[in-house]
Amino acid sequence: MAAILVSLVIGLPWIGSVVVWLAGNKRSSFQHTTAVVASVLTAITSLVLLAFASADAVIRIPLGASFGELTFVPDGLAVSLTAIAAVVGSLAVIFSVDYMRGDAQLGRYYFLVLFFIGAMIGLVLSGNLLFTFFFWEITALCSYGLISFYNDDPKAVAGGMKALIITQVGGVGLLAGTLVAFAALGSFQVSDLLKNAEAIPAASLAFIAFSFLIAAAAKSAQFPFHTWLPDAMEAPTPISALIHAATMVNAGIYLLARFYPAFESVPSWTMSVLLVGLISATIAALSAVIATDLKRVLAYSTVSQLGYMVYAIGAGGVLASQFHLLSHAVFKALLFLAAGSVIHSVGTRDLRRMGGLGYKMPFVRNVFIVGALALAGIPILNGFWSKELILEVGLEHSSIWAYGIMLFGAGLTAFYTFRMVWLVFFGVEREHLHYHAAGSAMRVSLGILAVGTFVTWLLFGGLNGLLSTTLPFHEIEHESLVELVTAILSAPATWFALVVVAIGVGYSWVRMRGFKFFGGGALQPLVDTAFGFDSLNHFVVQLFSKSAERLRATQTGELNWNILGIIGGLLLVLVVLWMGA
Amino acid sequence: METIQYGLFLLGAIVCAYRAIVSKKILTAAIYLACISALVSAVLYLLGATQVAVMELSVGAGLVTVLLVYAVSVVGDDALDPASVVPKPLAFVMVGVVTILLGFMVFPAVEKNVDTSSLALSIALWKNRVLDVWIQIALIFSGVMGVLGLLSEKTPGRIEEIHK
Amino acid sequence: MLTPLNVILFGVVALLGVGFYGLLITRNLIKVVMVLQILVKAVILALVLAGKLSGNMGLGISTAATVIVADTIVAVVGLALAVQVRRRFGTVDVPQISTLRG
Repeated sequence: MAAILVSLVIGLPWIGSVVVWLAGNKRSSFQHTTAVVASVLTAITSLVLLAFASADAVIRIPLGASFGELTFVPDGLAVSLTAIAAVVGSLAVIFSVDYMRGDAQLGRYYFLVLFFIGAMIGLVLSGNLLFTFFFWEITALCSYGLISFYNDDPKAVAGGMKALIITQVGGVGLLAGTLVAFAALGSFQVSDLLKNAEAIPAASLAFIAFSFLIAAAAKSAQFPFHTWLPDAMEAPTPISALIHAATMVNAGIYLLARFYPAFESVPSWTMSVLLVGLISATIAALSAVIATDLKRVLAYSTVSQLGYMVYAIGAGGVLASQFHLLSHAVFKALLFLAAGSVIHSVGTRDLRRMGGLGYKMPFVRNVFIVGALALAGIPILNGFWSKELILEVGLEHSSIWAYGIMLFGAGLTAFYTFRMVWLVFFGVEREHLHYHAAGSAMRVSLGILAVGTFVTWLLFGGLNGLLSTTLPFHEIEHESLVELVTAILSAPATWFALVVVAIGVGYSWVRMRGFKFFGGGALQPLVDTAFGFDSLNHFVVQLFSKSAERLRATQTGELNWNILGIIGGLLLVLVVLWMGA
Repeated sequence: METIQYGLFLLGAIVCAYRAIVSKKILTAAIYLACISALVSAVLYLLGATQVAVMELSVGAGLVTVLLVYAVSVVGDDALDPASVVPKPLAFVMVGVVTILLGFMVFPAVEKNVDTSSLALSIALWKNRVLDVWIQIALIFSGVMGVLGLLSEKTPGRIEEIHK
Repeated sequence: MLTPLNVILFGVVALLGVGFYGLLITRNLIKVVMVLQILVKAVILALVLAGKLSGNMGLGISTAATVIVADTIVAVVGLALAVQVRRRFGTVDVPQISTLRG
């Protein structure tokens, strides 16, 4: 039964993608309908799959002796991420029906979106490292294709290329780690790596651990690879919601969570993970404070929240990070889709031109406020419970200064969230912009996500149960929802955090009174170059192009020179053989 | 005794090969190629592979020579610019290093002198390696088709700007 | 010390060397086809020798026969191509046969 469900949950979006593409752009309503049907069916299947989670492989495709078997393992980590990807994916597709109405290239759009959903689900369900890499690369391809979807716009194309190159650096890290693991263990299976991690020589294990960390950091836009996500906001907004908030960037978190038991014994690995998360969270929060583009603020906040998740893993709280991943997927998708409604109706993304829109777009204003409260960590909403759990884990297992910085970050989050809400929906209208109410498809998605923001924290018991029973190598204790609630409400960490959040909100109130929300001050030059990393990226790209130009001289295309090259290669092989013998 | 026979034949083959490469006219080179075939065929016969030797002689000294003569008759035997693209000393050094290295590596490998009775080629081919025979047939068929296709084209448009 | 089979191996290596040298030096397309023939003769020698040394003479000579057939087809098709090249480009000088720019 689980095997059928797994094949359906990957196969349905892929079949849907091909059908939409073949239908042709003339039949756009058919394309819309097929895409929605495919994604909703996938979502339902993934929810059913939750009941069948198990730690054993359910589909095995033997590939001969050298590659082992390609397996799909629907354990707790996998099925929870599958459900998130499929459900948020279906809501983003429903939203796209209104957002992309009238677009000339719907076939390409829906093909990439559905292909991506299937690949993301395959990535988390896969039990073979090589298979994971295969799906990883497919998600990178779809992300590139969707970021540069408006391919007449040079900014979109540049953003897509940047995202592709940086995430591919991560892909190299994943492949290198996989190959070294294969060399040490003789097998590509994830369960073998988790089981026999102590048997691998320390240097190889450290190499694998840090390569996977590089892969995760590049995919999840963490320090030092944090520059691509803000530039990827040229994508259509449903894509930003789906790929760059709720699913693809979670692949890095998934990787770290999955392999945490294997790597926690590597010296200074957990410290590196913690630092990566900490630095990303802080610099992204600082950048969000002075950003003037609505989607960029949300992008920076995504990087920051992912930093919280990575920090949690570094401190040993895998369950906390997965819980925050669930909450973040829901409220961040809500925020992005609501921002998409706003942008779609007023036609601009610049915060300096918006203002006072709340009176004209009440529904969108309300759902946006719900999402913003969850992001800031106000009690009752799901963001509060998961963020408090992370901060509590951090207080217990990491050093006090790290906890202090994350706490400060929570205050910054509250500040920039309030600033963003105020600048878009309240205050004085700075420019007379056109607006229209959100379409019905948009309202459906937004409404469902808003309800989700209120209730997904109730799923904690179920999530905990899934993770603790089906992940044999992570030692996750079984805690129920009631225990969680009481623990959080009684922990001192929670009260510190609430005080800091109140200070953040209060400070933003003060600035609002004096209307000092623009003007970056000392931070502006730092943020413009992404804390120096944009220039680093630029330098590396220039280095490669220049050396490629110079090396072009060796490719003459003439027969005799090519044969000289072949003989040179033969000479090299002979020398290596001779030395080895 | 055997050593000297082998050595002489092979030395002749190498000299013929060198002359074939440096000769200016293609017809001369074709004659030298035929000589190489004959000498190699003799060595093969001495090794005991009699049928392969016959095949080699008939194909190498016969068929290939005729083909080359035909090609030269169509293409023309004009003297081309003799300067080679890769400078000769570089080529010499590269090839020399590769050959000496290979020679070193190969030297101690042959110590025993295994004597086997020569096996009839027909048995080896038809009983054990039937797949090889089918591959050969397929190859010959495709080669014939290819040649017919290539040579039946009437003169296509000459590409101008061949000199850059 | 220098067994007969040793001599043959040296001969094979030397023929290969001469063949590579020829490939590097020649500018004429028909000469290229010819030099490939030289290389293949060395290969045939090596195959039969290997068959004799390992005792598996049947495999050695059948592979050698297949290689002879294959290389003849290569020569045939290569020369037909050379004829076509002459018709299209007016020359068989390898460095000049190119329609690629840049």
